[in-house]
Amino acid sequence: MTKRTSLREIEKKTYMSYHQDGLLDIFVGIFVLLFGIGILLLTMTDFSTWFLIPAIFPAIMIPIWISAKKRITMPRIGYVNFGVRGANKMMAIFIGLMVAGLGAFMVFGLGASMGEGWALTLRDFFISNSMLIIGIGAAVVSSLFAYTMGLKRLYGYGLLIFVLFFTGYFIAIPFEYFLVTIGFVISINGFVLLMRFIRKYPLLQGDTVNAQESI
Amino acid sequence: MPKNPSNLKNIDRVIHEPTRLMIMTQLYVIESADFLFLQHQLEMTPGNLSAHLSKLEKVGYVEIVKEFIERKPHTALKLTKKGRSAFKEYQQNLRQVFSDLSK
Repeated sequence: MTKRTSLREIEKKTYMSYHQDGLLDIFVGIFVLLFGIGILLLTMTDFSTWFLIPAIFPAIMIPIWISAKKRITMPRIGYVNFGVRGANKMMAIFIGLMVAGLGAFMVFGLGASMGEGWALTLRDFFISNSMLIIGIGAAVVSSLFAYTMGLKRLYGYGLLIFVLFFTGYFIAIPFEYFLVTIGFVISINGFVLLMRFIRKYPLLQGDTVNAQESI
Repeated sequence: MPKNPSNLKNIDRVIHEPTRLMIMTQLYVIESADFLFLQHQLEMTPGNLSAHLSKLEKVGYVEIVKEFIERKPHTALKLTKKGRSAFKEYQQNLRQVFSDLSK
């Protein structure tokens, strides 16, 4: 048991080291921010294409993220491949969440369309408590990733999301303002982490190459 | 004294050295890493890391792949199958030794 815990800790520490550059926070933060801005613009104008901006962002984000990792992170702290095991773990969370979400959606959707009393009651409950449910859901998802990846700051983001949405349950503030706030906080934190990372790990000239060549 | 001191003889001395144990443990939890990443992660000097990696490569526990990525030299390091099973065996043997000591 002790052996498993310590190996797990080393694995988490490795994840943490590789993601201490804040790039993940910047991209996730900008994505949430764009989502908030998209909804905000949609409510303010009739131009529905605003919503395409956050929708296409992930497609643009992935190559930029890879390029940023290559240009900023790898020359400073090197490269690590977590392999199939690491990817499988992340994929398992994604698939698990997708299946749970789709399953719940299908059960409630089907029940509500058939006019089932319990499904209608649940649907009404979800609609009237949506802020609270989104807050709890987002906090659970963040905590799940925080635990799996060992990134403790994700617990903080989860708590922030929960507090904001919990507040939103009692105070009538439009949903998009919460998304803008959360996206802003996460991306700013990402930039702070990136600055710290660049200062902590300046670019090395020659040493690494020579050391590698000496093996 | 352990009841069966012969277990101590089964301990792999190549892995048992603390620095090499750190390297093996780090490589065990990932697929591969480059020299710079290991150096940062283990807080070792290039020379020290290089020397221990050479020993691990010599016994066939670590595979060192030298390549060029975007015209820059890159050294990828990974545990071989032999290295992975040696590490597992080392864990089991060490656990056995401590188990015998506690009896």
